[in-house]
Amino acid sequence: MTTNEVTTPIESEPARETNYLNATTGIMSWLGTLDHKRIGVMYLVSVLMSFFVAGLFAMVIRIELMWPGETIIDQDTYNQMFTLHGAIMVFLVLIPSVPASLGNFVLPIMLGAKDVAFPRLNLFSYYLWVTGAVMAVAAILFGGVDTGWTFYVPYSTTGVDDRGAMDGVFFLTMAVFVLGFSSIFTGLNFIVTIHRLRPPGMTWFKMPLFLWAIYATGILQVMATPVIGITVLLLAVERTVGIGIFDPSLGGDPILFQHFFWFYSHPAVYIMILPPMGIISELISVHSHKHIFGYRFIAFSSVAIAIFSFLVWGHHMFVSSQSPLLNVVFSAITFSVAIPSAVKVFNWLATLYKGSISLNTPMLYALSFIFLFTIAGLTGLPLAVIATDIHLHDTYFVVAHFHYTMMGGALTGMLGGIHHWWPKITGRMYSEVWGRIACGLVFVGFNVTFFTQFVLGSLGMPRRYHDYSGPGWAQETTDLFHSLHFVSTMGSFIMALGFFLTAGYLIHSLFRGRRAPANPWGGRSLEWQCPSPPPVYNFAEPPHVGDCYDFSVLEWDEQEQGYHWRRDLAHDAGEA
Amino acid sequence: MILTNIMLAAAGTKIPGSIFGMPEQASTIAESIDWIYNFVNWICVFFFVLIVVVLVVFMFRYRRRAHIASTGGPTHNTPLEVIWTAIPTILVAPMFYFGFKGYMHIATPPENAYQIQVTGRQWSWQFDYPNGAKIFDGTLHVPVDRPVTLTMTSEDVIHAIFIPAFRVKQDVVPGKRTQLWFEATRVGVFDLFCAEFCGTSHSQMVGRVIVYEEEEFEQVIEDAANWIERVPDDKLHLAGVRLYNQCQQCHTIDGSPLIGPSFKETHDLFTSGGTQKRRLKDGSSVVVDEAYLLNSILNPLDQITVNSRTGKPYPPTMTAGLGKQLGDRRRLALARMIMQLDEVVTPDGRLRKVTEEDLDLVENPDAD
Repeated sequence: MTTNEVTTPIESEPARETNYLNATTGIMSWLGTLDHKRIGVMYLVSVLMSFFVAGLFAMVIRIELMWPGETIIDQDTYNQMFTLHGAIMVFLVLIPSVPASLGNFVLPIMLGAKDVAFPRLNLFSYYLWVTGAVMAVAAILFGGVDTGWTFYVPYSTTGVDDRGAMDGVFFLTMAVFVLGFSSIFTGLNFIVTIHRLRPPGMTWFKMPLFLWAIYATGILQVMATPVIGITVLLLAVERTVGIGIFDPSLGGDPILFQHFFWFYSHPAVYIMILPPMGIISELISVHSHKHIFGYRFIAFSSVAIAIFSFLVWGHHMFVSSQSPLLNVVFSAITFSVAIPSAVKVFNWLATLYKGSISLNTPMLYALSFIFLFTIAGLTGLPLAVIATDIHLHDTYFVVAHFHYTMMGGALTGMLGGIHHWWPKITGRMYSEVWGRIACGLVFVGFNVTFFTQFVLGSLGMPRRYHDYSGPGWAQETTDLFHSLHFVSTMGSFIMALGFFLTAGYLIHSLFRGRRAPANPWGGRSLEWQCPSPPPVYNFAEPPHVGDCYDFSVLEWDEQEQGYHWRRDLAHDAGEA
Repeated sequence: MILTNIMLAAAGTKIPGSIFGMPEQASTIAESIDWIYNFVNWICVFFFVLIVVVLVVFMFRYRRRAHIASTGGPTHNTPLEVIWTAIPTILVAPMFYFGFKGYMHIATPPENAYQIQVTGRQWSWQFDYPNGAKIFDGTLHVPVDRPVTLTMTSEDVIHAIFIPAFRVKQDVVPGKRTQLWFEATRVGVFDLFCAEFCGTSHSQMVGRVIVYEEEEFEQVIEDAANWIERVPDDKLHLAGVRLYNQCQQCHTIDGSPLIGPSFKETHDLFTSGGTQKRRLKDGSSVVVDEAYLLNSILNPLDQITVNSRTGKPYPPTMTAGLGKQLGDRRRLALARMIMQLDEVVTPDGRLRKVTEEDLDLVENPDAD
């Protein structure tokens, strides 16, 4: 009955009361839903919960490192902490983060479709994610994992006799296997959706850049993820049956494992960063009410990054004992990734030029993304230069670099996206004041935490160290590393405060927030043409597809506290 | 880096090395590596400042003043796009080239280099010298102004040797041999880290590089080759103290179990004279005597002990290679140390300092 109301274009706008959140009720209406929006929300909640858990592990690590010696946890617990922090952040948070949560919610609406191409597969992907998460919990219960998220052999295959093959490592690798399929199906679903469900008028070059980013990501997910699936499966076979594939004591090759692992895990970095880059393209344009600069260059740079990312995995292995020739070739190709990334940053800056820049919370996240991602990209250069990478490899410099990329980049982009689409998803506005304060705290805390680690790494502090004192340690080295670790941990407290504040005002807005207008920011892409929150099938009438970065057709409505079509153009819009 | 330097200067800590935080330079390649690092970083600083200045200026210059769309500005400009695609492409070329040149130098050990064999195992290093000297205490002795090549392998998992002051690092991989070379430029003591995660005590798999003048180096290596032979039998338990630092990652001397049983516990079982036996994994028990101790050092997996506190067997972590490499006399020294532990531990629970005099190693001045 509800469906009828929504799809029949009796009124120009469906009533606010019937939307995807209240069309049906009860827990089963969520758990069995095929609505991409509800699945997106379930992903968002799940991913944020995982982020909270892995974030707690990070705080434990930082507190342990505040002082020399054993501070709060012993060596083995520490090794498990950084392993779980890494594995959860990568496989449960960052890989599904933007595509599966925000992408799921926004992609069909932005495209002008009623849902994704395969709604059932979409729900199945979510339950694969849940299965993977349960298996990760099982890994903790079955003795934990201390291999690092990279599972390097033979460390990950040693001690099997003693611990039994069905221990934490087994469950975590199987979790990665299952989560891989979740990611593959999501990517596949989005690729098909973008190919097949574009409404009339929505040509490739009219698509918002976020969709280009999701599309490029989908290609990576479908093509790269099977390799990690095979790799962890081989690892599990080696552990359980004892067939020698990677372990040299069984006749295997440990370097082969690293090649397999990074063949996926390097593209995976771009699975994590490309969608947030897409978000930034939207945010920069919408919140400065300015047409995106260099649309095609940004779109193609996403595709270029996706292609190049397959060819650079060897730069993780410059000191692994792979051949010097391979090192040189991988170093050369690695620089090619820097160029499309730089092009994106320049185009975002040019978009700001002569804009009408609103410094609201989503925009502050977008601007802080540009700042942090610039540092992330530039500090990748000394890591691509082989001669300097040899010194920096496996030190805190690398830790700082990928946190700038993954957290300063991917996560900041996701936070920007959450704040941008929050009114659309929940139908509520959050507190702008607290939003800006929290964004500032996260920004400052992040830089204090991780910028310090560049210095720490450059000075030679190796990563994955439980301690920087002990019988073998020189006192002056201990003192030097101690002062830097202390500063870094201080920064992480500031950052944690920012995150708790964010959680606070966002939850508060759900109950007390002002009702959101359809278009609070003046966005031009299609999701801003349907009400907040959107109805079940998104659009009562086929939406009007136009230039999604032309903001001149919108005007501010003081009463509504939002934007709508200019009255003098309303007629044309209907006709187009 | 500058920002953090200021922060640390405020906290009263001095950062050594270059402006970008490199440690002291102590090898022939360090200076050129730092030059490349500075070259790349200054380019990065330039672009970072450029981007941030533009960002901040635009943020304030074009701040929203009314709820209207922007007043215009271009939406694309192909020549501009080509320029800012070309500039980074051109700039990364010399970066690659310098990195490549520097790397070829690092990757090519000189033919006349002094050869040292390295074995990594959880969680200690063994350095074997051409004259037969074997160093187990994590100290790498090397001569100054002479190229040294380390030929390395691992007995268990992947490790890596990292000497920050020399700017060198190389993974140490089981089942294959890897090489690393350097030429120290000044006498001194430098940090040596394991840089590849290798398990529980990864952060304690650290050592020192000591760089000597040539003659002193020869003398040190000569002493290292035969000092244990010159220690009289009744002082061997003291010699064991000098060998203990390769055991301490797993075996304490205060009775608390770590990865392996505490020497204190083993000592107490020994002094009980067989009235108390050691429980083993297979359910049997064994009398702790000298023969048992020697065999446990040589073949640690033969008789795996049960942790007396948890009741679980200890993990089979200790490789047979370590005990084998030690040789008869060092094994005996360690066994004696355990048997006479009360003589080498001070009342406050620390190991006593063992001098050359204690070991009767001081040369007779007339001997020369």
